[in-house]
Amino acid sequence: MGEVMELGRGTVPPPKDATDTVLFVRTSDMEIAGWDRHRIVEALVRETFLDEGTAEKVALAVEQVVQRSQIEVLTAPLIRELVDAKLVEFGLESARRMHTRLGMPLFDVEQLLVQPNRENANVPHGPEATNLTLAENIKKEYALLAVFGQEVADAHMRGDLHLHDLGFVDRPYCSGQSLEYLKKFGLNLPNSLAMAKPAKHAEVLLAHMVKFSAALQSNFAGAIGWDAVNLFFAPYLVGRSDRDVKQLAQMLIFEYSQQAVARGGQAIFSDINLYWEVPKHFEDVPAIGPGGEYTGQTYGAYEKEAQRFLTMLLEVYRGGDASGRPFFFPKPLVHITEKFFRTEGHQEFLRQLCELSAEKGNTYFIFDRGDTAKISECCRLSFKLEKSDLDDAKQPWRMRYSALQNVTVNLPRLAYRAGGDDTRLFGAITEVLELACRAHLDKKAFIEKLLSQGERGPLSLLTMNRDGQPYLRMHRVSYLLGMVGLNELVKIHLGQELHESPEAFKFGLRVIAHMKLVAEKLGHHHHMHFVLEQTPAESTAYRFAKLDLKYYSPQAGRYVRGDLSRGEVYYTNSTHLHVGSPTSPIDRVRMEGLFHPLIEAGSITHLWLGEEQPDPAALASFVEKVFRHTQSDQIAFSPEFTTCLACGRTARGLKEACAYCGSDEVEGITRITGYFTKVSSWNKGKIGELHERARCRGFFSAPAAVSGSAKAEGGVG
Amino acid sequence: MTLFTKDDCGKCDYVKKHVDLDRLGVKIEVLGPENPDALAHLAWHGLVSVAEKALPILVLDDMSHLTGAIPIKSYLEGISH
Repeated sequence: MGEVMELGRGTVPPPKDATDTVLFVRTSDMEIAGWDRHRIVEALVRETFLDEGTAEKVALAVEQVVQRSQIEVLTAPLIRELVDAKLVEFGLESARRMHTRLGMPLFDVEQLLVQPNRENANVPHGPEATNLTLAENIKKEYALLAVFGQEVADAHMRGDLHLHDLGFVDRPYCSGQSLEYLKKFGLNLPNSLAMAKPAKHAEVLLAHMVKFSAALQSNFAGAIGWDAVNLFFAPYLVGRSDRDVKQLAQMLIFEYSQQAVARGGQAIFSDINLYWEVPKHFEDVPAIGPGGEYTGQTYGAYEKEAQRFLTMLLEVYRGGDASGRPFFFPKPLVHITEKFFRTEGHQEFLRQLCELSAEKGNTYFIFDRGDTAKISECCRLSFKLEKSDLDDAKQPWRMRYSALQNVTVNLPRLAYRAGGDDTRLFGAITEVLELACRAHLDKKAFIEKLLSQGERGPLSLLTMNRDGQPYLRMHRVSYLLGMVGLNELVKIHLGQELHESPEAFKFGLRVIAHMKLVAEKLGHHHHMHFVLEQTPAESTAYRFAKLDLKYYSPQAGRYVRGDLSRGEVYYTNSTHLHVGSPTSPIDRVRMEGLFHPLIEAGSITHLWLGEEQPDPAALASFVEKVFRHTQSDQIAFSPEFTTCLACGRTARGLKEACAYCGSDEVEGITRITGYFTKVSSWNKGKIGELHERARCRGFFSAPAAVSGSAKAEGGVG
Repeated sequence: MTLFTKDDCGKCDYVKKHVDLDRLGVKIEVLGPENPDALAHLAWHGLVSVAEKALPILVLDDMSHLTGAIPIKSYLEGISH
């Protein structure tokens, strides 16, 4: 009923028949039209399955209400509400659902325009960002009404599970890709006003990469990852001076860092995969150089150029921005492989990496052991390359991977319901995963409907076909099943947290092993790739805790973490040990790492450094031990900073006042989940977690601190 | 000691056929889609990635492990004498 917008009553005396009323309707075309009951009939017939006779009865009933009401100003939403109320009254619930108006109350819009949105700390507050949030809210409502089945939608609303990025329901979740696509095909996007041939210069290639990232971010809800960035730039850097290469490194990092402000909405959640060595699967691949031409050499020949660019990138990261703050994006994901340790110069490079970790914390250490090869595209999410993917590596532009959606399970809630009974608990886990699977089927069907419209449809970018297959290769997408609060599940069920006993820890492994096997079974059944992922759960861990306090009190009050009196509540993320557990860094990495091989789509262990600046040599020794002696997929060291809004300088630690000028106009910065951001933008749950994080005080002060076998260092193992 | 195996694994069957595992007190864990406990046990020993490439795996009492039918058979025969 979009054409009925607003209706004002005239000054003539109330007539006998409402159709004679001097009522004016403001239409969606911003016109003023007279009251016409038949507009309601038309809308009901068009939007629902009602026949004309029933619609006429409803419209007449609404007209009588309007007539009796003496309402001075009738708005379109009110008319629709009156119609919907009548539909309920007549028992026409299905028609009411179809006739629902999506939108936000005036109060909420006003709040939104003036209050920051803290669901995602990566979205700055501004007119463009509030546009985004307004649109997101409508899409969320639409998703829950029209994309997902009612059981799935209700499960989300109750907090049994969480459907991520509902406001972006018409996009896949995230993607990982190769620069080779741009090098080979140029920047040639559907609906673009201009097409660019393959870049002839490194600076142009960078411009293509950044623009394409922005375009991709408009088509994906989450992270945009790029594989082997330093290697694929390398053929463009031959003969360029160090100064030029450093300049290019600066441009790359600043371009991504400043996109948040430029775009207005969410920053491009950008991840760049970096290698010191030439990865084995690219060694013999013919290199593409300027103009999209093959250089006549393989990538194995470009190791030194790739290393030079990587070293420059690290230098820029170490310098930080103009205030010395760490860059929030792009996130450098540095792969540590067997070959890494056989490649000349790796020790010096590892030292530089760890200096960056110690000073700014940017580095993510991704561990690819044995023959494993991965593309990482987020703080956790990665795609392990299978045999067919390694075949794709011979034509790297084909290496495009995506996760279509992420659905996270509220594990503590299942434990409340199970009441200590194993059979009930594991049965409930299976049931909720089946429900999550249905959510994925719903989303897949919706995305396929959008994609079916091809290059003239809303997802035209993802349907473009430059190499014989669409950009989004639906047959290769993954469907993520995340989890929050394994630690609390175990505590509720057994009375102990993961770190408190081997029994508790082993039970945690049983839960995740069960989830993995159920996911695989569902995958075989539906011919879809369901994989477990450690959900970042920036807001989900908070949301689940709040909802459990509402529905499972008083029990939940004993298990939810954080400060209940301040509402700063949360559950421990994914399979992590509690952030405050008194576990040494090496034990934390080793224990959490035992879960990582069960979680195919990626895992991480965070090590919270606090204000301490560790010894880079100790970090380097630690990193090598983690690679050699644990199962950990990935680690990151997270320092904390205070930046002064008055004097513009940045100091170590989270402080109330500036260490340099004493001003209290300061901003705290540290890693929220998988990226750095300002603490002031965090949701209450994350603030609660921040207060309880156990910092690695003193552990990394000297190399000796991590000497000895990682396996020998106790814990519950 | 624990021997991790799976169904339809020729090398696993070879070890089971040639060594009296019961007599040596070797516990058998059969990995498969219906056995999360075995997978959890495997993960506890940090051997999930190893099992993706090679089975059977014998986990010794000192938590170290052996892979490959012949080395496992040889080891078990060695301690049985």
